[in-house]
Amino acid sequence: MENRSPKTLEVPLTALKDGETAILTSIKAGHGRGQGRGWGFEKRLMDMGLTPGTKVTVVKSAPFHGPLEILVRGSRLALGRGMAERIFVEREKK
Amino acid sequence: MTKKKLVIALAGNANVGKSVIFNHLTGLHQHIGNWPGKTVERAEGTLHFKGYTIDIIDLPGIYSLSTYSLEELVSRKYIAVERPDMVINVVDASVLERNLFFTLQLMELETPIIVALNQMDIAKKKGLEIDTEKLENLLGIPVMPTVAIKGIGIFQLLEKAVEVIEKGQMAKSVKVKYGEEVEERIAKVTRMVDRIQFWYPPRYVAIKLLEGDEEIAREVRKIDPQIVAAAKELADEIENLHGHSCPTVITSERYEVAGCIAREAQKLVPPKKPPIEEKLHTLTTHKIIGYPVMIFSLLLMFYSIFTFGGYSSELLSNFFHGWEPLFASSFGTGIVGKLVWGGIIEGVIAGVTIALPYILPFYVVLYLLEDSGYLSRIAFLMDNAMHKIGLHGKAFIPLMLGYGCNVPACLGCRIMETERERLLAAFVTTLVPCAARTVIILGLVGAFMGIQWALMLYVIDLMVIFALGRLAFKTLPGEPTALIMEMHDYRMPHLKTVLKQTWFRLAEFIKIAFPLIIVGSLAIKLAEVLGLLEPIASVLSPVTVMWLGLPAITGITLIFGVLRKELTLIMLATLLGTTNFAQVLTPVQMIVFTLVAMFYIPCIATIAALVREFGWKKALSITVFEIVFAIIVGGVALRVLTLTA
Repeated sequence: MENRSPKTLEVPLTALKDGETAILTSIKAGHGRGQGRGWGFEKRLMDMGLTPGTKVTVVKSAPFHGPLEILVRGSRLALGRGMAERIFVEREKK
Repeated sequence: MTKKKLVIALAGNANVGKSVIFNHLTGLHQHIGNWPGKTVERAEGTLHFKGYTIDIIDLPGIYSLSTYSLEELVSRKYIAVERPDMVINVVDASVLERNLFFTLQLMELETPIIVALNQMDIAKKKGLEIDTEKLENLLGIPVMPTVAIKGIGIFQLLEKAVEVIEKGQMAKSVKVKYGEEVEERIAKVTRMVDRIQFWYPPRYVAIKLLEGDEEIAREVRKIDPQIVAAAKELADEIENLHGHSCPTVITSERYEVAGCIAREAQKLVPPKKPPIEEKLHTLTTHKIIGYPVMIFSLLLMFYSIFTFGGYSSELLSNFFHGWEPLFASSFGTGIVGKLVWGGIIEGVIAGVTIALPYILPFYVVLYLLEDSGYLSRIAFLMDNAMHKIGLHGKAFIPLMLGYGCNVPACLGCRIMETERERLLAAFVTTLVPCAARTVIILGLVGAFMGIQWALMLYVIDLMVIFALGRLAFKTLPGEPTALIMEMHDYRMPHLKTVLKQTWFRLAEFIKIAFPLIIVGSLAIKLAEVLGLLEPIASVLSPVTVMWLGLPAITGITLIFGVLRKELTLIMLATLLGTTNFAQVLTPVQMIVFTLVAMFYIPCIATIAALVREFGWKKALSITVFEIVFAIIVGGVALRVLTLTA
């Protein structure tokens, strides 16, 4: 993170263009922290490799606001759009 | 020499070739059932090896040992409580990092374990070379390379497993080391847990308490609530130190360990040109081309299944009915003869002529699509549409199967993750017009009123599916659903595994549906022989005649339709003495009758499938709801149509 640009902003995963790679910063599952509603998703996402600090590449999204195809830790995942909107990433500097 | 018994469990992520290894090991000596009290499948098999009788348990494919899903909970409990002699962790070499994340969790359970490094061929194609020896050293447990689909390495795997068990002492596996702040607190909780009796290892309990695992917290609280409170405090400390919740920190660090090991053990040599599998993936998930490809594949699938089904169903039916005269001459045509033939044997024939011609090919195609990886691409393309009825992409698969037959469709709802999603998907599936209902729609409305009216009924059906799906989604409590699904690389399906899975599913269907079909057809035949049908029809007449405006005789045909829906039309022809329905029914009556027949009840085999998956109560609720719903829809349609006519 040495050359972090002051302009880098947290954006939801859905804001990335096809083929763009970014670093995951947080998952906002809503409803307070830790357990409770929404916790199952956050845990599931992390179990699939989506932990903070991980590189995520958006390959493409299905049409009509469909799910995203992403690459994470060498595996290819389909992610519902609603969930992708709650995953925040920081764009990598070119 | 006495035969000794061993138990070996297979564990690993989904789609890593676990069931292929299971099939190689156990052949046909398999038993597939459910875990006690759970709708989680339990596959078990036995084999004999070097004087041992070995029980192999194929645990469900999971990504973690937390308690997100029933499958995870069942697997964890099994390993911790039943303590198999050995766990074979099947690992997909082409997605090493994520698979090792699961391996590390198994190691934390402190169970004897060896790794089967599977799909080495796919990894190679992707340009991944894995140093097995290095991986073995890094993990501290034996690693055996396999290519299960070709049977490579299976024997050595088994040999190694037995050898390790015989040696008695396990190689000391490497402890998963977290960051200093976390380790410190794990140690503190471990010391507290050390003092109590618990079936999980103390360090594991400590980690899980810090991770906020609800099941383990509940159990520990019963013994000593102070430990849980202390762990909560320590977890908060970690959260303050790291700025992320404690479970996030622990999961991240565990993944870091998995990542380090994976990077050390594998070498990446990117292939010069993208392999054909990659091109196929791009094509089948393409924004535009993906859809026509999907529609074409599905049409081809339905066309071939229905062509095969129609042809062989008739062949089988003719074959069985060829025996009827012989049967009649030897058993007579008295009450007993009628009951035995018309009740029991007709019931069996009905079952066989559905099961073999339709359900068998359905399963074969379904498993081929699933194994190859295409099913997950279809789910990807259809996710958005399915969200409209509160489900996600995967639900499209059972829904689509429903157009063929509701029974495999209901059983297919198991691919959904949670109990709630399964129930929702199954409910919606029972509203899909299956092949039998298509016969009614096309044979009555389509033939006598024109195809546009038949199409209108299909549109109405889609609207009903949409409306009721949404309604059920809103009423059933629980989290909204979302798609998180792996799309593994395309690969050749393993035909033998596909056929075996089909065979066991078919056997399951026969076990579920046949008893009910036979009892049902016997009951109806008995009512007919005793002359109860007319009285029943008149009892039903307030509904059929007054509310729905149909001839009283339809009450009888609707009863027969419970067995097989197309019987409503066949019986109508028999009882009215004509197949020219235009002479006996008005157009409005045709539409009302077809609407009712479409919705009024899942057929008896579907009810059996619902009972199997969700229990009597939920199956009955769905059945009763659909009867009431169909009657209301029919009555409303009658009034609307007469008003507008």
